[in-house]
Amino acid sequence: MGGKSVAMETDTFDYEACIRACASRNKKALRDLYLEEGNRLMGVVFNIVKNRSTAEDLIHDLFLKIWQKAHTFDPSRGNGRSWIYSIARHLALDSIRFSKRQVTQDFPIDDIPDTRDSGWYERVNSTHWGMGNHRIQDCIMALEPERRSCIYHAYVNGYSQSEISDLLGAPLGSVKSWIKRSLLALRECLG
Amino acid sequence: MTDRIDDVPPFELAGEYVLGTLAEAERRAVIERLESDPELAELVAYWENRLVPLCDTVDPLPLPDTVWNRIDDSVTSEQTSARPATEAKPQRQQASWWHNLALWRGLTAAGFAMALMFGVALVIQQPQTSYMVVLATPDGHAPGWVVKASNRRSLKLQALGSFEVPEGKALEFWTKADDWKGPVSLGLVKPGQTLEINLDQLPPLEDNQLFEITLEDEAGSPIGRPTGPIEYIGRAVPF
Repeated sequence: MGGKSVAMETDTFDYEACIRACASRNKKALRDLYLEEGNRLMGVVFNIVKNRSTAEDLIHDLFLKIWQKAHTFDPSRGNGRSWIYSIARHLALDSIRFSKRQVTQDFPIDDIPDTRDSGWYERVNSTHWGMGNHRIQDCIMALEPERRSCIYHAYVNGYSQSEISDLLGAPLGSVKSWIKRSLLALRECLG
Repeated sequence: MTDRIDDVPPFELAGEYVLGTLAEAERRAVIERLESDPELAELVAYWENRLVPLCDTVDPLPLPDTVWNRIDDSVTSEQTSARPATEAKPQRQQASWWHNLALWRGLTAAGFAMALMFGVALVIQQPQTSYMVVLATPDGHAPGWVVKASNRRSLKLQALGSFEVPEGKALEFWTKADDWKGPVSLGLVKPGQTLEINLDQLPPLEDNQLFEITLEDEAGSPIGRPTGPIEYIGRAVPF
């Protein structure tokens, strides 16, 4: 990242400062944010919409939205990075749930590895998401494998309940109740 | 549909909304309810903040430079095109108040109308204009379109800034007077477009008549009333 970034001398990127700078129309701050998080956000959005050009369009929409909505960011409701990722995910989810046309997937659903037993959740790192998240990895690990899998396929891959049911070869009713119970268990565990 | 989401415990509804497992109708119903239900909004924030570390499991994907270029263009054109179409003489002064963010933030929707009324009256000199609507984002922070009606039978819709319409979607323009049962579609509008609309089929414009622009499927709302989120909204003020 060339030049002076909003993060300044500290090695942790200051998302809140960056969002505040966007609110005061500092385009450099938006650029810094893009350089810092763009590729990771693209990964998250692409995983949900599964189409590269749609994902790129959504990244454009996302940064425009950050620019337009920066002044509405309320640090008392969560940290800046979480705010940005939440907007990104909702844009991607709205796009797949609200589009009538079947989106052409860049890869077929069968190519997605079954994550029931793999340790994907070990990559969950709560430290750079601000406070209140330090237990998420433990809480996810505590879920029964198929429930854990439902949470992963829904949250990370954007799959609907019936897609998850196809993917896991489990009845839709089971998937629905696994998701409900996972939410209950997570809330209990996360507090 | 709203009935169906009303039966679900709020923490679960918020959780499913954040997870992304709600079907289209339920998801729309939640989005609508979030505007007026702070308790649900609180629960959505709860789940967003707790689940977001799951994003770490996804590998980054490199973005081509064209994406930043497009963002840059949109941000720039948003800043520069948010200026009335008529590039008349007192442009310098006009641009300065137009771009004064603090001013805009401080103004209410009615304030927008007043400020624009003076601006437009000075620059375009159309004293016969009888109604004016400023359509702003629902949070009231940014004006996006202006409706001007020089009489009660026709109106002109003008875009102030740019709006990025998602693929497969379109913006639809609606109006509703206080005593009408529901909004009536005035057709699809394109960002940046200026549109003349004849109101022959409708009762004459009245004070406080509601105008809104919603995001709908490409072909417009299939049911003749708004189904998507409200992007811009405003009411008619006589002047």
